[in-house]
Amino acid sequence: MKVVRLSRRQRLLANCAPISEERMNDRAMRAAVFSARRSGEFANQQSFDRAMAALVQSVPIPPEIGEWFSSENLVPRSKWKWKMAQNPAVLAVAIALAVIAGVFVIQFLEHRHDFPGAEAARKLLMVAASTRSVLLDPVRTDAGALGDLFFMKHQLEHYDVPPEFADFRTLGCRVFDDDEGHRVAQIWVIEKGMQFFIFPAERNAKTGAALSFSGRRYVEQEGWTGVVQERNGVCFMAALHGREKDLAPYVSKTKE
Amino acid sequence: MLGDARKAQEVLQATLRSANGETLSDPFWLFRDARWRCLETSEHGLQAEQVDFQEHDLSPSAPAQIERLDVNQLAIWISAAPEPQRTALALFYLDEFNHREILSLAELKIGELSRLLANGRRQFQAWLNTTVPQKEAK
Repeated sequence: MKVVRLSRRQRLLANCAPISEERMNDRAMRAAVFSARRSGEFANQQSFDRAMAALVQSVPIPPEIGEWFSSENLVPRSKWKWKMAQNPAVLAVAIALAVIAGVFVIQFLEHRHDFPGAEAARKLLMVAASTRSVLLDPVRTDAGALGDLFFMKHQLEHYDVPPEFADFRTLGCRVFDDDEGHRVAQIWVIEKGMQFFIFPAERNAKTGAALSFSGRRYVEQEGWTGVVQERNGVCFMAALHGREKDLAPYVSKTKE
Repeated sequence: MLGDARKAQEVLQATLRSANGETLSDPFWLFRDARWRCLETSEHGLQAEQVDFQEHDLSPSAPAQIERLDVNQLAIWISAAPEPQRTALALFYLDEFNHREILSLAELKIGELSRLLANGRRQFQAWLNTTVPQKEAK
């Protein structure tokens, strides 16, 4: 007879191993039975128990009692048990689902106010965060005057600074190509270290038409906040290091 | 539990009469109540003699020996077992409960249930070997 070494706890559980597989809904019991199954002694025990249970099942039950038992759920069993929730596999799946759900919620919250060009605006906020003044050509003038410069020097049509930001004094500016080869104008102004970006509006992939949107939209990235507006297929974004409330006073001065 | 079908039926009917929705709050109320009624009833009847049962290792031919038994012989043997072994064996071989439920119903700890079942099997095997000898069963 094959001898299998079981822990004391496993021996105790194996002695109480249920006769029917369906009663084996406990992880420790399943592990004990799995280990004990390799022993001949346990095989004898199970054969013995099955024969005893079969004999018990043959006990005649009076019809009136049998009828009552068949109409009642004698041992109601909940399908979901707290024990099941403590199973590491179930726990791992639950945590994974919670994380996935969390990511979806965050993505939804982040993008619920999205607009055409929001992604490009976020990338430009990252550019704003990493820009040093030495990268820009020093230009000291009113921001509104740079529209002519961009048109004359770089042939950028409609790259104008809106009237509400036109009076801000500039420190420097530059024109560069972004990742997708779009021409972007960047202006650094004295006021609160603000930066302006003028860039092409997002376009319909099939028709090539600019995707316009009305009003002003806010975007945030890496502690920077930008307010974006679109006009004539070109977007203008005023950005500063701070939050929406820091930008709001400038936006409320709108001269629309 | 009682080794007497008539008494068992009376106990069950008394339990059902007193149920009155109790089963809703405790799914095992019926079994707890029936068990206590059985213990109470058995205290009033003839008491089994306290004897030291012999114990034998479980035999591979035990299923064949058990097959030759009459169900009343098994019922009488279990009803003669001392408490709480009687409850443990009755609930276990009813094959309606898992071990945690039996522990709760019989108010036992896992070590106690394990010992009661293991000893019960060995004692029953010894009784089987006397009642239905292995050669005869084969």
